[in-house]
Amino acid sequence: MIHVENQIELVNIQKNYGPHVVLSNCDLSVRNGEFVVVVGRSGSGKSTLLNLIGGLEQPTDGTIKVSGNSLTNLNEEELSRLRRQKLGFVFQFFNLIPTLTALENIRLPMALNRINKKETIERALSLLEEFGLSGFDQRFPEELSGGEQQRVAIARALAHKPDIILADEPTGNLDLDTANEVLELLNRTCRQRGTTLIMATHSKKVIGLADRVFSIHGSDLNEAIM
Amino acid sequence: MNRLLGSAATRFYLKRPWQLFLAITGISLGVAVYVGVDLANDSARRAFELSASLITGQTTHHLVGVGGDIPNSLYQDLRLKHGLQLAAPIIEDEIRLTQAPSREFTVIGIDPLKEPSFRGFSSFVPGDGTTLRQLIAEPATILAPESLMLELGLQVGSELDLIFENTQKTVQIIGPVTEISLAEEGATTPIVMDIATAQELLDRKTISRIDLILSDIEAEKISSLGLSGVVLVNANDRNSSFDELARAFRINLTALSLLALLVGIFLIYATMSFAVIQRRKTFGVLRAIGVSRNQLLMGILVEAFLIGSIATILGLLLGHQLAKILVDLVLQTVGDFYFRSNVAAANPPPWLYAKGLVLGLGTSLLAAAAPALDAARTSPHAAMSRSALERSALKLTDRAALFSIPIMAAALALLGLSTRSLFVGFAGLFFIIAASALLVPTTTRIFAKVVEPIFEYIFGIAGSLAARGVSTSLSRTGVATAALSVAVATVIGIGLMVNSFRISVEEWLSGTLTADIYLSTEADNAITTSQIEAINISPGVLGTSVTRFTRIPTEIGEVSLRAQMPGPQGWGVTVNDQVPQAIEKLGSNQGILISEPLAFRRNLTPGDELYLPTIQGQKPFIILGFFRDYNTNVGTVLMPLEMYRTYWQDEMVNGVGIYINPRADRNNTVSGIRGILGNNSTIRMRSNDFIRERSLSIFDQTFKITEVLRILAGLVAFLGLASALMSIELERGREVAVLRAMGIAPRQIGILTLSQTTLLGLASGLFAMPLGIIMAGLLIFVINLRSFGWSMNLELSSQPLLLGLLLAVTASILAGIYPAMRAVKSGVATQLRDE
Repeated sequence: MIHVENQIELVNIQKNYGPHVVLSNCDLSVRNGEFVVVVGRSGSGKSTLLNLIGGLEQPTDGTIKVSGNSLTNLNEEELSRLRRQKLGFVFQFFNLIPTLTALENIRLPMALNRINKKETIERALSLLEEFGLSGFDQRFPEELSGGEQQRVAIARALAHKPDIILADEPTGNLDLDTANEVLELLNRTCRQRGTTLIMATHSKKVIGLADRVFSIHGSDLNEAIM
Repeated sequence: MNRLLGSAATRFYLKRPWQLFLAITGISLGVAVYVGVDLANDSARRAFELSASLITGQTTHHLVGVGGDIPNSLYQDLRLKHGLQLAAPIIEDEIRLTQAPSREFTVIGIDPLKEPSFRGFSSFVPGDGTTLRQLIAEPATILAPESLMLELGLQVGSELDLIFENTQKTVQIIGPVTEISLAEEGATTPIVMDIATAQELLDRKTISRIDLILSDIEAEKISSLGLSGVVLVNANDRNSSFDELARAFRINLTALSLLALLVGIFLIYATMSFAVIQRRKTFGVLRAIGVSRNQLLMGILVEAFLIGSIATILGLLLGHQLAKILVDLVLQTVGDFYFRSNVAAANPPPWLYAKGLVLGLGTSLLAAAAPALDAARTSPHAAMSRSALERSALKLTDRAALFSIPIMAAALALLGLSTRSLFVGFAGLFFIIAASALLVPTTTRIFAKVVEPIFEYIFGIAGSLAARGVSTSLSRTGVATAALSVAVATVIGIGLMVNSFRISVEEWLSGTLTADIYLSTEADNAITTSQIEAINISPGVLGTSVTRFTRIPTEIGEVSLRAQMPGPQGWGVTVNDQVPQAIEKLGSNQGILISEPLAFRRNLTPGDELYLPTIQGQKPFIILGFFRDYNTNVGTVLMPLEMYRTYWQDEMVNGVGIYINPRADRNNTVSGIRGILGNNSTIRMRSNDFIRERSLSIFDQTFKITEVLRILAGLVAFLGLASALMSIELERGREVAVLRAMGIAPRQIGILTLSQTTLLGLASGLFAMPLGIIMAGLLIFVINLRSFGWSMNLELSSQPLLLGLLLAVTASILAGIYPAMRAVKSGVATQLRDE
């Protein structure tokens, strides 16, 4: 694997939705294992920024490099492979697959990376145990509480050992105590594994945990002085 | 309905135009298929009724000649000596027209003064009686059916050239036969002339029959007179074969219409219930924010009513058009089989459309009400929970599978209960279809579980997810797969039945058409004994079979009589092997063979005696066995020519089969035969191949309606599945987006969607194969036998089976293409953002 200093590099990024400019002239460099938080008001463009890094959306202008790959040069298949191998997503609404059990949801990204079945089960069970969800493996998402679902979602995002976790308001749908638990869990596991974490959030508690904080105001992305 | 709730429902469909299109198309097609088949059925029914009334009218009895026509003098005697006033002489024959030489037309000679008491012909002869008086007073005048005049561009006063037995005679049209009955009731009327004119033009001194209106006492009196050469037949008996066949044909059409109703209901139910089930979560939210159960239910019903109304009206229009095609096909079959004259399309009564309206609207409302009631009854939280819905669907499918056992048992009991009742046979068939439909969701779930490892091996994780999706979406897939299975099984069943029937007909033709060339004539004494002797010794001829075909009235209705002197290759019959040596006994004049339809209809068995009216009075004939006869539904009696001549004193021959030496020059042999026959155009010479091809083309024509129904069933299968799959795949948009975010490539998403739809199609198709075979077996061994008395073998040819499977899989792949393309193309970020 080629080692790169800056795992994520956004240069002069612009993103428009029709006439509406969401992001303009945005530059961002994130190093390996860094925990970066992006704050901003609702609709300011935080999710868009994460989507751009995850290759879910294409910028109107500018270049994005993730793990040495220029996203604008990759086709859909290559973007899918990048996401499958290098990235993990955590969403505000959990987005677990409703027809799969907790165990199967966690196994899914590993299966996508063709890891053998036995190993996927072992690793998924281990993650469930690590996240305090032992015995929940055969439950379907609707049989889990919000906090439990989000923990399964984090386990799923980490299961295939990605380089980067993109977390979009992961605590936005949880009560304060559960939100704190989830944040600590994410922070701890990412730091233990050396996984880069980029999180869009409103939570002030996160700011204290992060290495760097960026804010979006009126389509500008600026690093906040902590 | 609350305006906001209305807006929410409207926007739901506006955001999913394809789903709205499929919902409307699905309901429309369901209504159209039902209305189309029902209209065709009604036309056939009324054509039969009208035909029966034209033939019989008020007539209670017919006096019919034993050996053909009856002398004029008998009619005079009946009126003058026996004082019978309600007696009408009839001449009926077939002629051709120089203007349309390829077709035969029925000519009927009547006594216009007598007819009003019998059939009321005068009621549709226009004017104040002038034309009727002219008909009697002026020679060589006729009344022509309006349709014929229109077709040939003729006016009142125009001349028409009739061809009868090589002689051309000119008549004048003095009026039309009003087409009231043609346009509204469905049967063409014959060319009508005065009986004296008919005798003159047709060069005959006899009459075809005498129609009578008799009291029981009068009938007994006539019977006791012992009139020689004639037999008094009850009008109901004479037409009983016709009536029974008409009934059987109508029951078959009713069954087709019920089948259409079944697939129509399936399609409408599937279409409408998907649209509601899909929004179960929304309904849960609405309930949570205070929408009452009644408000919710009413809102959904109003929506179903609006969609159902639009779709039903479209369906009625479509059904009307479809009926035009089906009516033509049905009436052509009716005409081919049962009438000599053509029958035309009928104007359907409005209540048939009302039935379609009730079906469309009623089923739409019911289909929407069931899941809506479920959503309204369950707690808002449970209504929002997909897993609760799927758990309840799972329970329901298990219960349905269990429930299918008593239904199947009931079906078997019904089939075992009666071996003759057609109605019970149909009831058994429908019970089996219903039981099978209930089994489909569970078998699909089991099938998906079995093939999951295979799909995973072939398509990777996408394959596994696809297989799982089938069993975890039973609320959506259950009805769709059941509908698809029943529709495909229908396609397979009808296909196998038609195929088996065709093979049986081919075998029967091979067994029957043993000669190389056939001569036939409708003219009396056209083929002479000396000609047959000359043909027998003609170069290249191995021998001949000689046949006299006629129809005779019997106590059990009119039967066809085939009196035959067999040729070098035997009798040309396929005999049921119940009685060994039946053919040998027939050859030694020990009895007769009867056709299977006659045996079945009259419940006759070998050893029974059949009484036939001979010129020596009623004589018993021992039934030696049965033979297959697909040529006519009217029962046929086969006896040695020698026996016939002894009892009927009729030396006429109207059929000769000629066997040609395979080593002889065929053209020279045929030229020799033509030379013997001379220039007699009343004798038709047809080759074995020509008759075979013609027979098979009539067969194919007859089954065109089943082909149309097969296509419709295929279309229903496709639409039913398409709407189900589309709703399943469209509501999985967010799930697909998550998979995309996790790195599943667009190609894999496409594979996932398509492999899931293919799996559903494969499961339905595989299930439909045994069900189709069972349906074909029931159609052959129960329905056809009980309807027509025809026996045939079930030929398990691979083509209809594979075609059914291919239809199911193709329908499912086609139905999956749009959702797959949409899943691939839809923006991941947008889907993730959308609530």
